[in-house]
Amino acid sequence: MIKVENLEFSYTKKPFIKDINFEVKKGEIFGFLGPSGAGKSTLQKILTGLITNYSGSAIVNHTESKNHDDRFYENIGLDFEFPSLYEKLTARQNLKFFGSLYNKKLRDTEELFHKVGLGYDMDKKVFEYSKGMKSRLNFIKALLHDPDILFLDEPTSGLDPSNSRDMKNIILEEKHKGKTIILTTHNMNDAAELCDRVAFIVDGRVKALDTPHNLIMSKGATKLKYSYYDKKEIIRQCPLNKTVEDSKLLDLIQQNKLLSIHSSEPTLNDIFIEVTGRGLQ
Amino acid sequence: MRTRLRSLIIGDIQFQFKYGFYFVYTVFTFFYICLLFAFPATIREKAAILMIYSDPAAMGLFFMGSIVLFEKSQRVLNSIAVSPVKVSEYILSKVVSLGLIGTVVGVLIAFAAGNRNIILVIIATFMGSVIFSLFGLMIASKIQTLNQFMVATIPFEILCLVPSIFYLFGYQKPFMLLHPGIIVIRMMEGKNIENIAFELLMLGIWILMIYMVTYRIVKKMFQSVGGVKL
Repeated sequence: MIKVENLEFSYTKKPFIKDINFEVKKGEIFGFLGPSGAGKSTLQKILTGLITNYSGSAIVNHTESKNHDDRFYENIGLDFEFPSLYEKLTARQNLKFFGSLYNKKLRDTEELFHKVGLGYDMDKKVFEYSKGMKSRLNFIKALLHDPDILFLDEPTSGLDPSNSRDMKNIILEEKHKGKTIILTTHNMNDAAELCDRVAFIVDGRVKALDTPHNLIMSKGATKLKYSYYDKKEIIRQCPLNKTVEDSKLLDLIQQNKLLSIHSSEPTLNDIFIEVTGRGLQ
Repeated sequence: MRTRLRSLIIGDIQFQFKYGFYFVYTVFTFFYICLLFAFPATIREKAAILMIYSDPAAMGLFFMGSIVLFEKSQRVLNSIAVSPVKVSEYILSKVVSLGLIGTVVGVLIAFAAGNRNIILVIIATFMGSVIFSLFGLMIASKIQTLNQFMVATIPFEILCLVPSIFYLFGYQKPFMLLHPGIIVIRMMEGKNIENIAFELLMLGIWILMIYMVTYRIVKKMFQSVGGVKL
């Protein structure tokens, strides 16, 4: 669905994005993870045809992005991080207007409203909406023309846990319908839960690309954490595959003196910091 | 008319209505017509032409800044830029929506002043409005605040309005007949009807040239939405 080869782009003489290669298959959720200013938005702009003076290749839905015509956008849906809506129009009027820009048959608007919990607010003006409601409306605006490829930029940002859960369920539902989804996020939990594969992007380059599970397993071993009492509570840890070599742990087990014991896997965030040497801001 | 262009024009009219443009122009029309009757009958028609040319026709130059700035601040442009909307459709929609209201107001003022060249007033007001709106869009695409827009429109206002006012009040030289504003005024006056085809052609050429520059600038604005400077 998306194939990027030797992609390079620069705003100045110094390359900003360099040597980017990846492929996204139909029905896959692919995550772009990286700190602010890493090049995620620029990459998204290239894939959505807004930046055309790049070198290399970025094929989206069988079209070289820089050579797209207006039909290109019939099959692309973009959910921006910040709402892009007419504030003085109602939610329903907004969807009616944006829907009218497409030649495709639209999805059932009312069903979409109900899906994101806005069923009773569709005739309210957008300026009366809370931040979370605007995010949800923005999200269904991207789904309205039933695009094959969805670009979602921080889709759960500003949502309470319950709405965030609903949103993630809808994203997974769209994936199961065969939609290809590009997710740009800072939220490592969302990425680990939703993405089939993720790319860590730092300084305009892909530092790692794999499934979240493989990244976690290949870069960090699962550890065993335990605690015991020796004048005060002491916490120790050892790699799970080396428990037999930890004589202290074996003694504590034999003497039945353990206070707690549990395994802990590294998170995607730990792996990101390990691979890139930086945290997400 | 193509469906998408029609949707855009309806959307723009709806937007202009919601933001009170239509209300403002209803009040202005009433005010202008009242003012018109304060002038002696002998210069009433000339005054009406000046009013139409400098306001309803020039509406695009004044209002385009707020229209585009609203779209920028509400990030609506981001969504339009990644939709099937062509740059040409975006421009046409803005120009036609403002041209329609400007022409209606212009016709009402002309009719009140006793101008009987209503067909020519319609054509001239609409074409004049297209020129002003294109200039307005050109400037609005480049600016970030309303103050910047107000300042940037001043040279365009001088270039468009001053020669036309001079011409209307007697300073008339042959080379001035190439000025688009003067062509518009002459059409409203019903002068030189035998050469109307030439005047329409001249206005068409002006519009095409200004459109081509506006197209390049708006295209760049579409590419730069979301903070990317190219």
